Amino acid sequence: MIWAAVNPDAIDPRVIAAIWRREVTGYLRDRAQIFGGVSRTVLWLVILGFGLGATLREIEGYTYSQYILPGVMVLNVLFASMQSAFALVYDRRHGLLRQVLVSPAPLASVTLGKLAGGASVGVIQGSIPLLFAPLVGVPLSLPGVLAAWAVMFSMGFALTGVGVVIALRLKGLQGFGSLSNGVIQPLYFLSGSIFPLKGIVGGIGFLDIPQSLRDQLRDHGIYAIGGGWVVELPLWLEAIVRVNPISYQLDLMRSALLGFHQLPQGLALAVAAGVPLVSLAAATWSLGRIGKD
Amino acid sequence: MSSAPILDARGLGRRFGGREVVAGLSLSLQEGQSLALIGPNGAGKSTTLAMLTTALRPDAGTAQVGGFDVVRQARQVRGLLGVLFQEPALDERMTPRETLRLHAALHRVPRRDVAASVADALEAAGLVEAADRPIRGFSGGMKRRLELARALMHAPRLLVLDEPTLGLDPQGRLDLWGRIGALRARGMAVLMATHVLTEAESFDRVAILDRGRLVALDTPEALKRAHAGDPAASLEDVFLALTGRALRDEAHPLRPALVRRRA
Repeated sequence: MIWAAVNPDAIDPRVIAAIWRREVTGYLRDRAQIFGGVSRTVLWLVILGFGLGATLREIEGYTYSQYILPGVMVLNVLFASMQSAFALVYDRRHGLLRQVLVSPAPLASVTLGKLAGGASVGVIQGSIPLLFAPLVGVPLSLPGVLAAWAVMFSMGFALTGVGVVIALRLKGLQGFGSLSNGVIQPLYFLSGSIFPLKGIVGGIGFLDIPQSLRDQLRDHGIYAIGGGWVVELPLWLEAIVRVNPISYQLDLMRSALLGFHQLPQGLALAVAAGVPLVSLAAATWSLGRIGKD
Repeated sequence: MSSAPILDARGLGRRFGGREVVAGLSLSLQEGQSLALIGPNGAGKSTTLAMLTTALRPDAGTAQVGGFDVVRQARQVRGLLGVLFQEPALDERMTPRETLRLHAALHRVPRRDVAASVADALEAAGLVEAADRPIRGFSGGMKRRLELARALMHAPRLLVLDEPTLGLDPQGRLDLWGRIGALRARGMAVLMATHVLTEAESFDRVAILDRGRLVALDTPEALKRAHAGDPAASLEDVFLALTGRALRDEAHPLRPALVRRRA
């Protein structure tokens, strides 16, 4: 970690573990949040997935539900991270955070615990759609699931950090509604979660051939046969998708779960590894500013 | 009385948006002594405590706790303080046992001592039965007892209390007050801000703040003689003589400032 190099005193594993445990325990006792994760999954993956899927038929040889499965996982991670971060608004005025801030615990460790906690909750919430994978016909493999968990952790960690920076600038909780709409939804829609950057869409026929043949064709990089439409996003929209870090993490998940990707994988890995570190630095700095000006 | 004070503040000041909330405040407290801060709304009590507990950076003067500077050596200072805020600083989803374990980690209570010191704190707080129930259902008195036990868990040298009995029913207030009295009797240094003047009567010294400035600092008896002309007077007589009878309607300065930040 960059911190350990700068100040070995800043890393206290006990503090990290204690703060992490508080985040996860609190989440496990919050049935409303778990219910939210399930209802979002049903709404997007099952209702929208099958509903819109009936019209679109195939996207690059996948049903619409299959195509958006990683996206719905991202949506759950987004909600979980933002909720974890915005809990700070209350925590700082009426809650435990005040006590944490007058303890000798190093701030970088407190932040690390908070972000790792938000990320862990994100992984659990993000795994809810995975339970629906058999229903939408996505076969799960152990390496695929492990990779998805790693990517969700990276995403949840980074997003919780961004959320912490935002939350510490908020006056009150009334900002939560507009922020969840103003942050979560754009990040979700502009990550390529529910539409492809470019690809073949329509009643193509790839889904009508036997699974084994489909697998063989995919091994050769063939995702469509027969007739459909080639769709391509308007350039401005594609540009936004390409600068959104979530797009790269989502692409890694889609690659892990469906074997399909649209963005350079090396770049995606770099984003997934680098963004959490930047986010950690920003969140630690923000927490350190409390009471200083 | 030891020679080096546990708390020593000199010329402490803090402004919010151009308004001086605390100015030129000098206070000191010896080991084993108690000091009560009283003053009308907006006098700067909470702002003073926030600065002394390292939660807020002063923009004038200096303060030391146990010889450590509250700005440059905040971490050492934090290790010496036990703090009870006005409102409970608890996560209501957690149980008392979890709350105390978290505190032990934050304060680096040695691992092998954690179980015993958590058990002791639960015992002291009278929460052994409720140790594994979420705090959400607790009374105000139970929460305060838990917080007081937590504040003492790491054996602080200075206990800082900001209106500790606020919102408690008379039974809860009496109980908490007995606990604080017992701690003082055992030689714990206590700094407390309060609105309840009868609570300040028993303190070694009383500091009266008004509009951010220290207007009097002495033993309760000396204050009564000097400002109410009668040792049998109450602190309330002294308080009104020094700060007047006009109502103070200023908003709490710390709240918006801790939440909103200037660029």
